[in-house]
Amino acid sequence: MNTTLSSNDAKVKQALSVSLKRPVEELEDHILLTDLVAESFALIETVINLQEDLNFRLVQEDLRDVKTVGDLVGVCSQRLG
Amino acid sequence: MINENERWILSFYRTSEISGSLFFGRLAKSLKAGPIQHDMTKHYADEAMHAWYWTDCLNKLGVEPLDLGNAYQDQYLAAAGLPVNIMEILAITQVFERRVINQYAVHSRVAGVHELVKTTIDRIVEDEKWHIKWIRDALKNMEPEYGKNTIDDTVERFLQADREVYESTVREHEERIRELFPK
Repeated sequence: MNTTLSSNDAKVKQALSVSLKRPVEELEDHILLTDLVAESFALIETVINLQEDLNFRLVQEDLRDVKTVGDLVGVCSQRLG
Repeated sequence: MINENERWILSFYRTSEISGSLFFGRLAKSLKAGPIQHDMTKHYADEAMHAWYWTDCLNKLGVEPLDLGNAYQDQYLAAAGLPVNIMEILAITQVFERRVINQYAVHSRVAGVHELVKTTIDRIVEDEKWHIKWIRDALKNMEPEYGKNTIDDTVERFLQADREVYESTVREHEERIRELFPK
């Protein structure tokens, strides 16, 4: 179980790194998404990029409590199964 | 020459069209190849042209566009929450496009509207009709994936946000709007 989650986490972080054009090492779990993306449209673009790249779907409700990189990676990892 | 309120509303339209164009341009870049990417790319190009039409219209009327900062769409996202998948994005866009086309229709009917403004609106509205159609068709095609009820509920949620943002904008600019669009 943990292995699957770690593997999914790594995939999501890699896709996030490509989308945000930042090295994976800089995407620490505690970092606020609002510190990484300047405005709302950029955050939407990032989330769409993740879904297109990794082939899964999120709904608005999934991101209701997402604030940090770790939160986003966790939600996306779960959706990846 | 136009007055300051007219300059403000035309600049408001211009800012909104620029914001829409930038948003759809980014999405068109992110999406995989297919019918939605195809139509969204045209939508992006249309909105950019609309921003140009308003810029040109303002210049021909003898004024420069005002820098209005945030666009109407930014308030939308604040009220409705961020759409996070392509269906939610199309749902919020459909609601927004209906608001836009209604607003342009109201403006076009105002007594004494400048001929250049009317011509610009007419030109834009033709594209807006297609925007509404392609999005309606795309949402219909998404029913097997997302479910009709989910799509309808999403549109309804964004309609509620649309009403809130519109009322708030009217309140914020009450004086200008009263003068521009007398009942």
